[in-house]
Amino acid sequence: MAEISFPLPDLGEGLIEATVLEWLVSPGEQVERNQPLVEVETTKSAVELPSPQAGKVVRIYGGPGDKINVGEPLIVFEVPDNTAGIVGTVPKEEAPKRRVRLSAVLDED
Amino acid sequence: MTGFRQAQSPDAQSPGTEAHGNHTATLSMQQALNRALDEVLAENPKAVILGEDCGRLGGVFRITDGLQSKHGENRVFDTPLAESGILGMSVGLAMAGFHPIPEVQFDGFAYPAINQIVCQIARMNYRSRGKLPMPITLRVPSFGGIRAPEHHGESLEALFAHVPGLKVVSPSNPHEAYHLLKYAATRPDPVIFMEPKSRYWQKGDVDFSTADAPGTGSPTGAKVMREGRHLTLVAWGAMVSRCLQVAELAAEDGIDVEVLDLRWLKPIDADALVTSVRKTRRAVVVHEAPLTSGLGAEVAQLITHGCFDTLKAPVERVTGFDVPYPSGDLEDEYIPNIDRILFGIQRVLEYRRG
Repeated sequence: MAEISFPLPDLGEGLIEATVLEWLVSPGEQVERNQPLVEVETTKSAVELPSPQAGKVVRIYGGPGDKINVGEPLIVFEVPDNTAGIVGTVPKEEAPKRRVRLSAVLDED
Repeated sequence: MTGFRQAQSPDAQSPGTEAHGNHTATLSMQQALNRALDEVLAENPKAVILGEDCGRLGGVFRITDGLQSKHGENRVFDTPLAESGILGMSVGLAMAGFHPIPEVQFDGFAYPAINQIVCQIARMNYRSRGKLPMPITLRVPSFGGIRAPEHHGESLEALFAHVPGLKVVSPSNPHEAYHLLKYAATRPDPVIFMEPKSRYWQKGDVDFSTADAPGTGSPTGAKVMREGRHLTLVAWGAMVSRCLQVAELAAEDGIDVEVLDLRWLKPIDADALVTSVRKTRRAVVVHEAPLTSGLGAEVAQLITHGCFDTLKAPVERVTGFDVPYPSGDLEDEYIPNIDRILFGIQRVLEYRRG
């Protein structure tokens, strides 16, 4: 298993921090992509942050009322190793298949 | 070893391996590389890691995961999206006494930095009469197999190997990845470290205490991964595991195939090639890169030169095609598959003189 950290993104044009209003998930919980994770308030508005990915919640940072700076860790997910890459897909390990048969007369000189 | 400047004895292995004792663990290649980098940073205060997304994110393949939080933002840091800058900065760091370990996020992203790699990194040591060595370990996630877009599946080993001053190496499994990276990252010379990205997630046993099977020496040169009598398959990177599968299938037909993992693509271990093929008398070289002027031609010549009298057939090459690397849907048609490698073996077996 691998851990992936999701930092607080910039929620608007140049905002530098947000205040946690309420966590909607808790450590140990399995979440789906786009599932609401947390409600936070910025100087512009209160918003629910959707999960960037599926995974098991390992840690959450900050309780209600706590300020988190943009770029600081917000939540850490645990994901299987084979989904830890971001680009491309993980090749499947399959039993080798063949159509070609070898035939040879090997003169062992 | 032929062509190996200052081949290191096993005793010259970096300190610190002792600290881990006689440990063996089952790791993915991603985990093995991550651990190797962690140890390099701990052992060498001059080592720094830089690249796109290497720091906070931990790399798109998680190779540098957790290293910034452990070793700090001065040791592991993100760069702007400019490969010429990543490698140009590495040149400066090396001149200032650091050991940069830059990452170019994907093979095809190395092109914008070719000037820095060829005209500066490869030559600075020569140009300065040894006053400015370039201890740079350039990690390049390489080769295809993950259905990624353009510039994410290319094989540049022949391009790098052609440049005097560069060393080129590619690991084939987690054990090799751990030891070859630790070795490369302690060299005084620039090393291009080509990671087979399609193998990042496959697990294997890593023996931290020895770089190779006992008695076989240091992580330089090629390595026999499977012994055989009738034919030698030469491969590197992701193609090694495929060739091992082919060897198992060939055994069903009574053909005993030896698989040689070349590991170092510059300099090439010609002695190992010749030793293997003098025994088997037949050889097929397999690579993902296009055929023309690929490294397979170099391998074939080294074998031919060293085994001309004993060869049963010309060395065959099973390779990618002379086209730009295709989109993901066509990857399986491009990368040598099991049947194409078996065909290559059959062509060699069928060859008769005269």
